[in-house]
Amino acid sequence: MQPLANITPLKPAPRAGTIELRGVGQVFRTATQDVTALDDVSLDIRPGRFVVLVGPSGCGKSTLLMMLAGLRQQTSGTVTINGAPILQPDPNRVGVVFQEPSLFPWLTAEQNVEFPLALRGTPKSERRARAEEALKLVGLDGFGKRHPHELSGGMKQRVSIARGLVQDPPVLLMDEPFAALDEQTRMTMGDELLRIWAATGKTVVFVTHSLTEAVYLADEVVVMSARPGRIVDQLQVSLPRPRTYEMLSGDAFGALRERIWRHIRKSA
Amino acid sequence: MTTTTLRRLIVLGLIALWEMLPRSGLVPELFLPSLSSTLVAGWNEAGEYGQALTVTLYEVAISMIFACGGGILLGAIVGSLPRPRILIMPMVSSLYAVPLVILYPVFTVWLGIGSESKIAFASIYGFLPTMLATSAGIQTIDPQLLLAARSMGATLSQRLLRVVLPAAIPTVLSGLRVGGALVIVGVVVSEMLISSAGIGYLISRYRTILDSPHVFAGVLSVLAMAIVFNAAIRSIERKAAIWQTGTRGGRDTTAAANLQPAT
Repeated sequence: MQPLANITPLKPAPRAGTIELRGVGQVFRTATQDVTALDDVSLDIRPGRFVVLVGPSGCGKSTLLMMLAGLRQQTSGTVTINGAPILQPDPNRVGVVFQEPSLFPWLTAEQNVEFPLALRGTPKSERRARAEEALKLVGLDGFGKRHPHELSGGMKQRVSIARGLVQDPPVLLMDEPFAALDEQTRMTMGDELLRIWAATGKTVVFVTHSLTEAVYLADEVVVMSARPGRIVDQLQVSLPRPRTYEMLSGDAFGALRERIWRHIRKSA
Repeated sequence: MTTTTLRRLIVLGLIALWEMLPRSGLVPELFLPSLSSTLVAGWNEAGEYGQALTVTLYEVAISMIFACGGGILLGAIVGSLPRPRILIMPMVSSLYAVPLVILYPVFTVWLGIGSESKIAFASIYGFLPTMLATSAGIQTIDPQLLLAARSMGATLSQRLLRVVLPAAIPTVLSGLRVGGALVIVGVVVSEMLISSAGIGYLISRYRTILDSPHVFAGVLSVLAMAIVFNAAIRSIERKAAIWQTGTRGGRDTTAAANLQPAT
């Protein structure tokens, strides 16, 4: 039965987790001059992809992430997620994980994860159940009653990830989430993140300064240039998954890293 | 031996010395009456001390409300708004460095030698550090926390109630500690200078007639008041600032509490 076979909708509704940037620009006006932080950035991210943004300091990659989070408005162009523009923070569409010190120190791990639900007045029992589930997902089963100062740096970031995921948004944004961690913890957290990503199927946009981390984690690496920030390259990382430590020393890995590095050196 | 037992032993030792030194005649009773004679003196005049303590406690309580309530409120407002902060804070800071006790005679001219002048003086005396601490506390709130709350869709009032307020509690408490201690100092000192009632008045009256046991009984009651206040603040701190990692909520706050302006 194919009654509607030859009727194609004008524009199919995008699947949850689709991100579209069209001609996005950001100009900061200061007293003396206008500074262009982002210039005509267009990018399509398909649902469930792991995309890493890299670039020299001040290239606007964090600014771009803040726009996706609805924490900053672009001066030109459009930013849409699930086909609808992002005009303000929308935790149902986007979860955000920041650099280390963004957990509320006066709340327990559990209460931190529940925080976004509490803002919306979700009943206590449901909150508890969902926080427990999220903590379990990030491997912190049984640590819910601890305060952040009783957790290691890696565990704190796990709590942050759980908080970002607790409302089950299709998109997870991560702003240098592992930058403050030591190298070993960082590697472990990378593997953990990939496991969580594979288990949940979220679209992840991840900002980092580490080229190794970028290639290790990504499906696609988006390289940006220094101010004004533009996209200068998009690399598909076709290394098989699960990614392993041995791949770091392989030729394919090295070639990708080098290609990114050349762009960054040129624009720095 | 743990630090706590050692500390208790030191206190016990000092108490024993207080009893033994005057008794053995090493220190004249006029300079330091023994603990037992101090307690007996206080006990014999229990009614008088009780009455004086009531007056002093009443003045302290009212001044605390003005100093701490006003200090926290104004500190929070000034701390969160940049313009008033730039305008007012330098003035408050320099005022804090002025030995305010020089104003006390003026207060007695305006308000008489009753409780009003003490309350006015002690309120201003405790108000300044509380306001300074609160305003500093509001400013040190990590902007990252506010950004995170915003990313989760928190409205302005939710950010104030759920982020700014709890984040400011430790600094507000340390302000309370300093402010409250200064209120006690302010009340007792002003009672000692010009007054007709209160513990400070008793102390200075007995001093003029060289009745050391009664002077020390007064000193002991002020000491008790300060200890009770300190314990109360500490228990609030323990409950409210459980998440503080020992540096601000713990013992180190006593160092900040000893910070005193020139009198």
